[in-house]
Amino acid sequence: MAAACALAPAIHAQQRAAETPYKVPRTTDGKPDFQGIWMARNAAAFDVSEIAEGRTIPYLPQALEREAKADRVDPTAHCGMPGVPRITYMPFPFQIMQRPGYVVFLYEYLHNHRVIQTTPREHLDGIDLFLGDSVARYEGDTLVIDVTSLGSRTWLDSARHMHSDQLHVIERYMRTGPDTIQYQATLEDPQTYSKSWKISMPLHRITEPGFELREQECLEGDDGRAIHPPYRPAPKS
Amino acid sequence: MRSALLRVTIVMVLPLLALAVAQTPAPKITPAGAGNLAGEATKIDLEKARTFKPPRTESGQPNLEGIWQPRTSGAAFSILPHSGGFFLGQGSETGIVEGGVLPYQPWAAEQVKNRRDHVELDPTGHCHYEGIPHALYFTFQIFQTPSHIAFVHENMHAWRMVYMTGEHPRDYLAWMGDSRGHWEGNTLVIDVANNNDKSVFDMAGHFHSDQLRVVERYTLQDENTLIWEATLIDPKVFTRPVKMRFPLVRAAKDYAIMESGCFEDERDQAHLKDAAIPANHYKEEHEKEKK
Repeated sequence: MAAACALAPAIHAQQRAAETPYKVPRTTDGKPDFQGIWMARNAAAFDVSEIAEGRTIPYLPQALEREAKADRVDPTAHCGMPGVPRITYMPFPFQIMQRPGYVVFLYEYLHNHRVIQTTPREHLDGIDLFLGDSVARYEGDTLVIDVTSLGSRTWLDSARHMHSDQLHVIERYMRTGPDTIQYQATLEDPQTYSKSWKISMPLHRITEPGFELREQECLEGDDGRAIHPPYRPAPKS
Repeated sequence: MRSALLRVTIVMVLPLLALAVAQTPAPKITPAGAGNLAGEATKIDLEKARTFKPPRTESGQPNLEGIWQPRTSGAAFSILPHSGGFFLGQGSETGIVEGGVLPYQPWAAEQVKNRRDHVELDPTGHCHYEGIPHALYFTFQIFQTPSHIAFVHENMHAWRMVYMTGEHPRDYLAWMGDSRGHWEGNTLVIDVANNNDKSVFDMAGHFHSDQLRVVERYTLQDENTLIWEATLIDPKVFTRPVKMRFPLVRAAKDYAIMESGCFEDERDQAHLKDAAIPANHYKEEHEKEKK
């Protein structure tokens, strides 16, 4: 037992060296640097199970039942904010800025933004937000963002994967190279899932010189409203 | 946090009042960002601004970072002198326009009257981006780096990036325009071009064309006061350049920029009023459309 204990740190260190050969750059105030313009390159916005661990979502039977009876139009078709984590894998670039005490996400998609404090605080209570209440912290080289108050109005994708207002998302951003971030999110929702589950995907830096985010406004004009047909047919009861 | 939250909630609810007022008695509210917070008047003192030594960022620029609350005396309602009232907010003897007059060309003056009679055309009532200067009448937060400066607005969940490099793009029009900045001494100067002709200055019908160019100047007057001055040039609409200015004050320490969800047209505002999309709403909509 004592030998195992003595060996453990050495093995751990070796593993770490093998897993993280990339030396993460630091911001001027010494935090791991995630700044730049990034984008997911996958189709998770259409079906999140593509990036889910084991490619399955551990739905509770009652959640599937609830889902079958629910609205059939993707809230983003009404220019709604897509929620977290969906905003991260929308097929549009986003920019991360880090300032002392803050990490700021500026998304091209429908000009959403998240201004997140990195100083510890308690979550807000009794409010539903589309993009949730986010509190960030740094754990070594990882940026961890704890998100609650996400409400039940957003979908995880346009395939109508849903959640309740009990959803709790823990996002992790890890630099894996000069132009890559590994993104991981844990989703907990005791009213919807039988256990917590994870999604993970790489985020790619947009390296095109002079690339800038542009304005994306939704539904211009008085009746730009778009009702999209249901993407996924309702399960037969 | 709680007080910040309350204020934010009020800001979120404000655009809905126009709809809600018909049925419900008007609650007594103080719109946080609209510049009519209780408290002593903030005066612009350009001499003080000239001599003030501003704090600096770690890269040496004057540090404008923080959450700023404009003092516009209800510019969102009218940028010209106006009396107060429920839909007009706090009255103002001066407005934010130098001289209190907008030099509209005759055809444009007719347009203003027409627009004033059709408040329903106001794009902010349809949850659109407000544009510059309109977005500045409400609380926003500045984040600075040497190469780019982000303005993150609470209202309409808008944001704009001011690039300290590059040029205005070609063939691009945007609600918030395209912003290129530089420092002149301790003043941040921003040239806003590529403005579309859809955003407006206020709810009183004051508008501009896609030829609008706004040159903004941000100068710290003291630690907690920021002066905004601008020159607006629009040869299609105005007969001469227009000057505007108003002060902004630093928000209380517990203030936080929060989510402001405003989407789409009035129909969705009604849904947001209930803080939820009613059950079977989409089903009913579909059925209506089938008929």
